[in-house]
Amino acid sequence: MSTASTAPLAEGTADGPVPVKTGPSGPRARSARAYLLYVAGKLGGAAVSLFAVLVTSFFLFRIIPGDPVRTMTHGRQVSAEQLASLRHQFGLDLPVWQQFTGYCVKALSGDLGISYQFHAPVGELIAQKLPATLLLTGVAVVIYSVLGLWLGTRSAWHRGRLGDKVNTGVALTLWSVPSFWLGLLLIITFSVGIGPIPGMFPTGGMESGGATGFAYVADVAHHMALPVVTLVAVGYAQTLLVMRASLLDEMGSDYLTTARAKGLRDDLVRRHHAVPNALLPTVTMVFINLGHVAAGSILVETVFSWPGLGGLFYQALSVPDLPLVQGLFVVFAGAMILMNLLADLLYPLLDPRVGR
Amino acid sequence: MDTTTVPRNARPSSRVRTLLAVGAVGATALALAAAAATPLNPAPRQVKAATAAADGKRTLTVAVSQSVDSLSPFLAQRLVSTTVHRLIYENLTNYDTKDNHAIPGLATKWEPSPDKLTWTYTIRENSRWSDGKQATAEDAAWTFNTMMKDEGAATANGSFVANFKKVTAPTPTRLVIELKKPQATMAALDVPILPRHEWEKVGDFSKFNNDKKFPVVGNGPFVLTDYKVDQYVKFRPNQKFWRGAPKFDELVLKYYKDGDAAVAALRKGEVSFAANLTPAQAASLAASRNIKVNDAPGRRFYALATNPGARSKDGKKFGDGHPALLNPKVRQALFAATDRRTIVDKVFQGHAVEGEGYIPPRFSAYHWKPTAGQKIAYDPEKAAALLDEAGYKKNSAGKRVGKDGRPLDFRILCHAIDPNDKAVGKYLQEWWGDLGIGLKVDCRDNVSDPWLAGEYDLAFDGWSVNPDPDFVLSIHTCAALPSTPKDTGATDNFICDKKFDELYAKQTTEYDAAKRAGLVKQMQSRLYDTGYMNVMAYPNALEAYRTDQIKAITTMPESGGNIWGQDGYWSWWSAVPADGGDTSGESGSSTGLVIGIGAAVVLAAALGAFVAMRRRSTAEDRE
Amino acid sequence: MTAPAATAAQTASALARARRRSSVARFWRSYRTHRAGLFGLCALAVIALVALAAPLLAGSDVQSVTNAPGAALESPSAEFPLGTDQFGRSLLGLLVWGARISLTVGLMAAALSVAIGTLVGIVAGHFGGWFSTLIMRITDWFLVMPTLVLAIVLATVMSRSVWTVILAIGVTTWPTTARLVRAQTLAVESRPYIERATALGGGHGHIMTRHVLPNVMPLVLAQTTLGISYAILTEATLAFLGLGDPDVVSWGGMLQDAREAGAVSSGHWWYLAPPGIAIALVALAFTLCGRAVESVLNPKLGVSNR
Repeated sequence: MSTASTAPLAEGTADGPVPVKTGPSGPRARSARAYLLYVAGKLGGAAVSLFAVLVTSFFLFRIIPGDPVRTMTHGRQVSAEQLASLRHQFGLDLPVWQQFTGYCVKALSGDLGISYQFHAPVGELIAQKLPATLLLTGVAVVIYSVLGLWLGTRSAWHRGRLGDKVNTGVALTLWSVPSFWLGLLLIITFSVGIGPIPGMFPTGGMESGGATGFAYVADVAHHMALPVVTLVAVGYAQTLLVMRASLLDEMGSDYLTTARAKGLRDDLVRRHHAVPNALLPTVTMVFINLGHVAAGSILVETVFSWPGLGGLFYQALSVPDLPLVQGLFVVFAGAMILMNLLADLLYPLLDPRVGR
Repeated sequence: MDTTTVPRNARPSSRVRTLLAVGAVGATALALAAAAATPLNPAPRQVKAATAAADGKRTLTVAVSQSVDSLSPFLAQRLVSTTVHRLIYENLTNYDTKDNHAIPGLATKWEPSPDKLTWTYTIRENSRWSDGKQATAEDAAWTFNTMMKDEGAATANGSFVANFKKVTAPTPTRLVIELKKPQATMAALDVPILPRHEWEKVGDFSKFNNDKKFPVVGNGPFVLTDYKVDQYVKFRPNQKFWRGAPKFDELVLKYYKDGDAAVAALRKGEVSFAANLTPAQAASLAASRNIKVNDAPGRRFYALATNPGARSKDGKKFGDGHPALLNPKVRQALFAATDRRTIVDKVFQGHAVEGEGYIPPRFSAYHWKPTAGQKIAYDPEKAAALLDEAGYKKNSAGKRVGKDGRPLDFRILCHAIDPNDKAVGKYLQEWWGDLGIGLKVDCRDNVSDPWLAGEYDLAFDGWSVNPDPDFVLSIHTCAALPSTPKDTGATDNFICDKKFDELYAKQTTEYDAAKRAGLVKQMQSRLYDTGYMNVMAYPNALEAYRTDQIKAITTMPESGGNIWGQDGYWSWWSAVPADGGDTSGESGSSTGLVIGIGAAVVLAAALGAFVAMRRRSTAEDRE
Repeated sequence: MTAPAATAAQTASALARARRRSSVARFWRSYRTHRAGLFGLCALAVIALVALAAPLLAGSDVQSVTNAPGAALESPSAEFPLGTDQFGRSLLGLLVWGARISLTVGLMAAALSVAIGTLVGIVAGHFGGWFSTLIMRITDWFLVMPTLVLAIVLATVMSRSVWTVILAIGVTTWPTTARLVRAQTLAVESRPYIERATALGGGHGHIMTRHVLPNVMPLVLAQTTLGISYAILTEATLAFLGLGDPDVVSWGGMLQDAREAGAVSSGHWWYLAPPGIAIALVALAFTLCGRAVESVLNPKLGVSNR
C-alpha cells in the first residue's frame, strides 16, 4: 500500500488538498485581519479535531474486551486486593467519565500514562522513538516530493508522448505495489543477495553502533537506503499525478495564452507562470502526506526493523499495551491534524489569488 | 479540481518558490535534527569503542528478537532480559552444564536445618561488584527482603519468596533464610542478587528500569556498558570474575525485529549467532560455509490443553468451556486423533521430538514415558470408537452430536504470533473434521483475556521448563486456582486434581533427589491419564553460529545442548574467539561507509539538481 | 396500449430507458479510447474468471494440509509451477484460490465504504443547516484519523474473520467519498428542476433517491473503482500483519506465511514474488479503470491522451 496515501489514488478528487476542496470556505478577504480571522478559525478547528481524537482514542480502546489488569497479571497468583490496588494505580476503578476527564487533562499536559510492558512513561517511550521515524519519513517525503514534482512537470510538458506514458505507467505500477512486499523483495535482493548480486545493504536496524561523526552519518544513511527507496517508490506517484494534473489544468488557462501572445517563449511561460501556480495544490498535498507518513511507516518500519514509532505501535498492539497504543494513536492523529493545519495556514500565503 | 474562476496572478512565482524552498529546507533541517538527536548517548564512549576496534578487539555479537522489557531484575520477565541479568548479576546457585544439578554461584554451600525450615548459605568472599566493593550476604538479604516487602519489587520473581518468613545476614558471608513450610527448591532460587549500595537509593521499584546509568554495577561474568532501546545491549568482560574472565573483548546483543533480518546478518557476518530459526532457515544455513547449525533438544513442551471447566477456589464455576470435554473419553479421542508424528515431521520439519510426558527428555532425571498400556497412540478408528462409546454418534450430515443435541464444535485458542499454532490448527481441523468434529481456530494477539475467563474449549499451550520442575508442576495444582472468579490465579489451565495435588505436596518436601524424581514421574503419569494436558511435541532449539568468529562454545547439556536461553551464563562466558577474529564486521562497515557516502551524495545531487533547475529558470528569465 | 395515459407512461419509461442506453453507449465509446483503461478492464476480466473457475483450475482440495501433494518449500518444477509452501501445497493453486478472497474483500469493502460515504454525503448535502454541519464535522473528524492505524486497531479488537477485515476497511475510508458526494449533491440541488420537483410535491426521499442519487452515481462509480484497489492493498496489509482470517487463503496471508516460514532469508523468492505481483496487478487494474472512468466523466482532468 502506498504508505503516503490513505485514500484512493485519484488526482483531482480524492485526497486533494483540503483547502482547495473546501473551496468556497477559503478566505476571500485581502487584509491581514482577515487572514488572522482565518487562522483563528483553523486553529479552533484543529483544537476540536484534537479533542475528537482524544475522545476516540479513549473510547476506542475501552471496547477491547477484557480487563487489562488481569491480562497484566496472567500466570501469577494475584489476590483480589492486589488486583484492586493495581486497578487503583491505573485509575481503572473510577467511573468512566472520571477516567475520561482525568485522561484528557493528563493527555493535554503531555502525560500519556505508563506502558504496561515497558514500565516506563508512554511519552518517554514515544520521544525515544520519534527521531528515528522523523528521520526516515522526513527524508523519504523530501525525496519523493522533489521527484514527484520534477517527473510530474516533465510528464505534463510531454503530455501524451511516450515519455509521459512510461512515466505515469511506472508511477502507477509502483503505487499499486504493497510497500511491505517491495521491502521484502529489496531485502532479499540487496541485503541477502540473489545469485551474482551480493548483499550490499544491512538487513535492518538503523546503525551498526560504535561509529561517530561523519562515519556515523554514513552508517545511518547506509541503513536508511532501502527503507527510503521503498517509501519513495510507493509514494511518489501521488505527487507526480497531482502535479501533472494541475499543471495541465494551468496550461489550458487564458493567462497563459496572453503571456504567449506577449511573445514570451513557450517553456519560459510554463516555468514561470504555469508551474508555480500548479505547485500550490501539490505543496499542500506534501504537507498532508507528511501527516500520513508517520502512521504509514508502520509496515516499512516492521519489515526493516527500523527503531521508530511504527514498530513500537505494532509491538504495543500485540500485547496489547493499552496506554502505549492510545498514546501512539493520539500522536499519529495529532501529526495529521498538525500537518493539515499547516497546509491550511500556508495555502492563503501561497495562493496568489488570495494574497495582496 | 479548482473550480474558482478568480483571475490568476501572473507573477506569484518568487513567493511560491521561496516558501517551497523554506519548506524543503525546514523538512531537511527536521531530518537532520532528528539524525543529530538520535545518538542519545554521549559520544566519548563510542570513540573509545571505535579505537579499540582498530586494536583488533574481538566482539561477540548475538542477534536477539525480543525487546528488553526492563533492565531491572525486579521487573524483567522476558527471556532476553533475564538472560542479560544472568550475565551481569550472580544468583546464589547455578546449574551444572552436564546434568543441571545445583552448583555454587554467589553461595559456595547451602544447608538446611534438621526441621528443614531454616537454610544457611555461605557467601563467597571472592566476588566483587564492578565498582570495587565486596559482594556480601548483606546484599542478598536486602534483595530478598525488598521483594518480600515491596510489591513493585515482587513483580517478576515474587513467587520465589512467597514461602519465606525471614531473611537475615548475621555475618557478611552467612545468609539465613527461614521458611514458613519446607520447600525442595532452595538450591534453585533464580533470583539475581543486587548491590544494595546502588539500589537502596531507588524510590519506586515498579518504575525503575535500571537503564539510565552505565556501566551498571554488577558482579556477573560481564558488565553492562551501554543499552539503546530496541537497538543493542553492550557488555565488557568482567576481568575479575571469580570463575575466570570471558574470552571475548566485547559482547553485544543486537536487536533484530525480524528473524529474516537476523539470519541475513548472520550470513554476512554482522552477527556471530542467531537463535529461533525456522526449519527453512536452518536448512539453507546448513549449506553455508563457516556456519554451524545447532539443532538441540529444547526445554519447551508444546501441548494441547483442554478446558476442564474453569473454576475458582471458592467452588464457583465460570467460563464457557464445551461440556463434552468433561468426558475423559472425548479428551482421549481428541488426542488419539492427533497425529504427533506428522506434527513433528511436517510442522517442525523434524526439528522436534514427539511428545509423551509433561517434562521434556532434555531433563532426563524427571522425564517420564507412558507405559505401553497407558499410551494413547494415534488411531483415528479408536478415536471414533471412543466417541461412539461416549455417546457422540455421527448424524446424517456426518457431524458428531451429543445426546443433548449439541454438536461437537470446539474452539481452540491460538497465539496469532506463533506460526506453529496456526499450522497445527490446520491439521487438527482436518483430522478432527474427518471424525465429525468441528474446530474453529481462534487466533489472537492477546489470548490472556479468554484464557483467564475460561472462555475456551481447547488451547495451544507451552512452557519452558526449568531444571527444577517445581514451577511447571505447581501451575496445575488446586492451590493455583484463582480465589474467586474475579481474581487471577497462577493456574495454567484450571486443572484441579486431588491425586495430583497429593503427589505435588509430597515432592515439595522430599529432599531425596531420586525419590523426588519418582514422585514427579508419578505426577506426570496422573496428568497424562486425566488428558487435560496432552503434550504433542518438544520443539528443538534451532540456532546457528559463525565458526569463523566463534571457535568453541559450551552448550547445555554439554553434549548436544543449546546455546541461547541456557540456565546460567555458560555459552557466552565460555565462547572462544576464532583465530583471525572478527574481521568481517570491519569490512562490512567500510563498504557500508562507502555506500552510505554514496547514498548521501545521491541525495545531495538530487537536491542540487532540483535547486539548479529552479536557478536556471531564473537565469533564463533575466536574459 | 389500452389507454392513452398508459401509452404516455410507457413511452416515458421507454424514453428514459433509451436515454440511459445511449448514455451508456456514449460512455463506452469514450472509455474505449483509453487504452490503459481497456488494459485494466481486460486484466480484471481475466482475474475474475480465474477466481470464479478456481475449483476447476486448481481443484478444491488445494488448501488441505493433510493431503498436500509435495514436500515442504519445493522450488518451481513441472508439477508445481510456482513451487510449494511449507505444508507442501501447490503455490499456484493457492494463488488462484487467493484471488477469490482478495477480490471479494476488495469489492465488498469498497462498496461498504462508498455506500456509507454516499449516504452521508447526500443526506448532509440535501438537508443542510446545523444537521449538515454536524455530519460534516464528524466526517472531518474521521478524515484526520490515520486510516491504516484505525483499521489495524479495529481488526485487532474484533475476531479474526473476512467480515472483520471488510468492516475495518469500509468504516475507515468513507469520508473522502462523503465530501465529494456532498459537494455534488449541493451542485445538483441548485439546479432549477429540483425546485420544480419540490414544487410538484416531491418529498425528501423522492428528491434524494430519484434526482440526486442518479446524478451522483457516475462519481460514486469512479470512487468505487478507485477505492477497490485501495481496499485490496489494505486487505493484504492487514493479512500480512496477521490480522486476516487464518482459515482462508489470501494473497496477503500467503506473504505472511512466506515470511513466517523464513522464505526471505532462505532465498525462496518464488514463494514471495507471485502473491505480491498478483496484488499489484489487481490494484493497478482497478486504478487504471478508475482513472479511465474518471476522465470520461470529467475530461477536464486531462488524464486522457487526447
